[in-house]
Amino acid sequence: MVETLVLLAFLGLIVSTLWWPRPVVRAVGAAFVGGLVFLAFRGPLGVLGAALPALGVAGLAAWGLPQRVLKRVCFMVLSLVLLVFVTTWLMYSVPGNPFASEKQANEQVRAALRAKYGVPESATEFFVLYMGRVLGEGTLGPSLKSQGRTVEELIFPAFPVSMSLGILALTIAVGLGLFLGVRAGLKPNSWSDSGSMAVAMVGISIPNFVIGALAILNFSLLLGWFPVAGWGGYQHLILPAITLALPYAAYIARLARGGTIEVMQQDFIRTARAKGLSERAVVLKHALKGAILPVVSFLGPATAGILTGSFVVETLFTIPGMGQWFVKGAINRDYSVVLGCALLYCALITMFNLLVDMAYALLDPRVREEL
Amino acid sequence: MYRTLLGIVAAFVVALLVVGLTFSSAAEAPADYTFINGTEPKSLDPALITGQPEGRIADAIFEGLTRRNTKSLRPEPGVAESWEVSTDRRTWTFHLRANAVWTDGTPVTAHDFAWSWRRMQEPELGAEYAYLLHVVKLAEAFNLYKSNVTALVGPREEEKESLAEGVAKIREGWAKAASPETPGIEAGVWQAFLARHKAQEHLKGCPDRVVDEALSRTSGSLDAAALAAFEEAVRREATRRLAVHEEAVAHFGIDRGAFAKDDRTFVVELGAPTPYFLELTCFYPSYPAPRHVVRPVDTGDILKDEVRDWFLPKKIVSNGPFRLADWRVNHRIRMVRSESYWAKERVKLGVVDALPTENVTTALNLYLTGQADWLPSNYPPDLVKDLRKRPDYYANPGTVVYFYRFNCTKKPFSDKRVRQAVCLALDRATIVEHITGKGEPVAPSMVPPGIPGYEPPSSAIRTDLERAKQLLAEAGYPAGQGFPAVSILFNTQEGHKKIAEFIADRLRRDLGIPVEAKNQEWQAYQDNVRLLKYDMARAAWIADYPDPNTFLDMWITNGGNNQTGWSHAFYDRLIQHAVDPEAFAAGEPESLVASMKEQDKARALILAVKSARDDAARVEAAGRLRMHLFREAEAILVQDEFPIMPIYFYVVSGLVRPYVKEFYRKLVLPDGSTAEDLQDLHPFHDVWIDAEAKRAERFR
Repeated sequence: MVETLVLLAFLGLIVSTLWWPRPVVRAVGAAFVGGLVFLAFRGPLGVLGAALPALGVAGLAAWGLPQRVLKRVCFMVLSLVLLVFVTTWLMYSVPGNPFASEKQANEQVRAALRAKYGVPESATEFFVLYMGRVLGEGTLGPSLKSQGRTVEELIFPAFPVSMSLGILALTIAVGLGLFLGVRAGLKPNSWSDSGSMAVAMVGISIPNFVIGALAILNFSLLLGWFPVAGWGGYQHLILPAITLALPYAAYIARLARGGTIEVMQQDFIRTARAKGLSERAVVLKHALKGAILPVVSFLGPATAGILTGSFVVETLFTIPGMGQWFVKGAINRDYSVVLGCALLYCALITMFNLLVDMAYALLDPRVREEL
Repeated sequence: MYRTLLGIVAAFVVALLVVGLTFSSAAEAPADYTFINGTEPKSLDPALITGQPEGRIADAIFEGLTRRNTKSLRPEPGVAESWEVSTDRRTWTFHLRANAVWTDGTPVTAHDFAWSWRRMQEPELGAEYAYLLHVVKLAEAFNLYKSNVTALVGPREEEKESLAEGVAKIREGWAKAASPETPGIEAGVWQAFLARHKAQEHLKGCPDRVVDEALSRTSGSLDAAALAAFEEAVRREATRRLAVHEEAVAHFGIDRGAFAKDDRTFVVELGAPTPYFLELTCFYPSYPAPRHVVRPVDTGDILKDEVRDWFLPKKIVSNGPFRLADWRVNHRIRMVRSESYWAKERVKLGVVDALPTENVTTALNLYLTGQADWLPSNYPPDLVKDLRKRPDYYANPGTVVYFYRFNCTKKPFSDKRVRQAVCLALDRATIVEHITGKGEPVAPSMVPPGIPGYEPPSSAIRTDLERAKQLLAEAGYPAGQGFPAVSILFNTQEGHKKIAEFIADRLRRDLGIPVEAKNQEWQAYQDNVRLLKYDMARAAWIADYPDPNTFLDMWITNGGNNQTGWSHAFYDRLIQHAVDPEAFAAGEPESLVASMKEQDKARALILAVKSARDDAARVEAAGRLRMHLFREAEAILVQDEFPIMPIYFYVVSGLVRPYVKEFYRKLVLPDGSTAEDLQDLHPFHDVWIDAEAKRAERFR
């Protein structure tokens, strides 16, 4: 009951940011930006050391950032708090707990563990404790299953791994997807169109673990070109990156095809052709910009997803990335890991959506005016 | 537009460069010996770990008083170079070698052991395996008695009442009630009340007859006088426990129980002679922790004083044949030969890698392509038929039993005839032949074979469909008519699913009872089993130490791991007396013997204990009497009551490359005979790699 009320109040607060007056948005947004900087730097620099850059950045933000961005920041920070609350509440309502074990520990052991790791019996208490820890101590808390490590010690070394893999996969996906999609869209219903789309369809419908297994079977076990699994060199990167990229490439191809078909029927294309531009110039200079708009909006969440890793690809190739923590955290009921992953993912999604919006402004003059 | 495109391309190029940079620093030399560890260890603190993946690493980087011999796995001198035991086998004196040092150069002393053993029993530490060392005098008192006392008489946090308060409240309720007839509490309600208070757990080992009788009351009722006597006995017991606890706090690990006589002499006093005690000294819970690193300051506040990450590479100080060089989560753990180990010239491996690969297919791929040299058990179960034909495959019976629990509190399995019928209808041979396929032995009993000194009782569990149908008819369900719909609960896993579906299918077909298999995620499954929200539930039990007690003491009434609701007063008493068979023989054993199945044997053993000429003979006879008590107890499980349905005993198997030398697939005992490696342990300290054979090996 209390939970529901808090939830509603929070939602109300978040929605209300839409109507906040400009100076309020500016002040609160800048304060939030400063706060985030403070949290990021207090670990390495200490309270005073972090306060200075935080104040500086907050001042800069208040002075220089566009209203729209500041509004987004307000929205984002409040959403993160709400996210922590909802996730905590959900975790506590699922059966089991972080200290469950097949062999029944006695009551005293369990109480000792709860005290040691700061996991009270009620969700609300945990939420308060957790927020206090994040804001007060600037840590995501100790992992409950990987003893001796904090959540940041687990997630932060894994993030660059997932990021390297993700960036490579993203490059492949965007390159391949755009190439196939635009080509298909330029000649709809032709053989090349059906061919590309058939490939895309296959890419979407075959699950990752099958693609991965087939890739391992062919390229590692039969041909011996790449290692079957592991991490540490370039050769370890190729198969997982392709496996990770193919479904994304397929989506991008389909979006790019749709975008291209739509743009090619627009008036400004006819104008461009009428002024005697070569077909090549028409496509590259005028059509492509419009054609990739749907791809760009897909790229926001896709990038966040791909950078935080994929559980399937990571377990298949034993890659020490982020993706495993999402699943392992949940399976182990490792509350702090679950929250840490959720926070990071949510922050990335909101950030990339903001970037996408800014990219839209660059690509589409109509949006630019709205800003 | 070209500019934008160019920008995007440039961004990707920069990103790829970043990727390249993170990689150039990651290159590293391959290890001499690599094995698949199956999962990421949760910790490497010897006092806190419990699993096999943790154990393999801990065994390599730490060393206890003794270490395991590579060939026989029997304890051989480790940190202790010699030891002697008193004639009553209750006092062990270990002499530590002078050249045992921690990796930072500090000598390993008897004080380190005394402190580590005391630390493990500290209630605030929450060590799961603390109970293993409860054989040491005062250890249990130090570890548990404080919380026992709180549960028995309070004061408790929040509004929870203590056991004594609960009993008092019941009596007060009666006093207020108008009706003057002697009120009583019915045995069923009484047992539920005891279960709520975990009375069995908190009164375990209580010598008081009054308590014993009240706890085992499963029929009739208890009147006000009985309750009053019980309450008084509980308070008495609490006072006693508090005194013993205080004594333990003052002395355990300091000058009693397990303590350092001087820097190089470590003395252990046992509560009772324990045949497997020496085995415990090469089992990781007994390993020493470096006091000067774990708790550099000691203010008395354990939670604050402990360095939480002392066992991670940047801080760890250890004393084993290897040291922890690197630990990248989800990537690998790297161990390097320790230069400070007392027998370092006999350690042949320079670098050992443990891979935490969880995906069984990937694990097998790594092994097959030569990136791992040893793959213990983590291969795809479907491939076992092919893998069994390989020369590098090995298999051993393990001390693990796979069984189903029956919910004995609920119809239809509250009727033991129904439980027996299901046990008899089960075709175990088909399961081990066609589903598991590693050559597992079928299980007619709870305790796996091969435990030294223990012979399981004859069992009524076999496949006999006619008798099963007859029993079912006797229980009121002829040909399954009127049988309520029941389900088999199992945690989501392919292997469990196949077995559950097979059993459900056969029970439907053969007994005509409506059974379905139902899977649940691990944690939900655990919750439901604990709360008795199931009909039949899958389970497995692994021996913590090679002794029947680990498989049998869980079935006492309301025991934390019982989880069947089954309760049997006689069984409880057998298990209780097995703790101290000498005291049992000296007391009034006849009351118990009269209800035993093999009375003559029991009487002979009791006589042997009583008439023993010296300490050694008495201890030996008491050990055999103890085994007999367990045998009688297990007979109740598998001949009369069937609260569980044993299915098969595990086989531990794996793949190991032939060029891995000093790796024993079968144990070679000191007398030259071979034995099965029940625990699938393969210490690294003597292993070496035949480089020529390795080069000659063709992978893929």
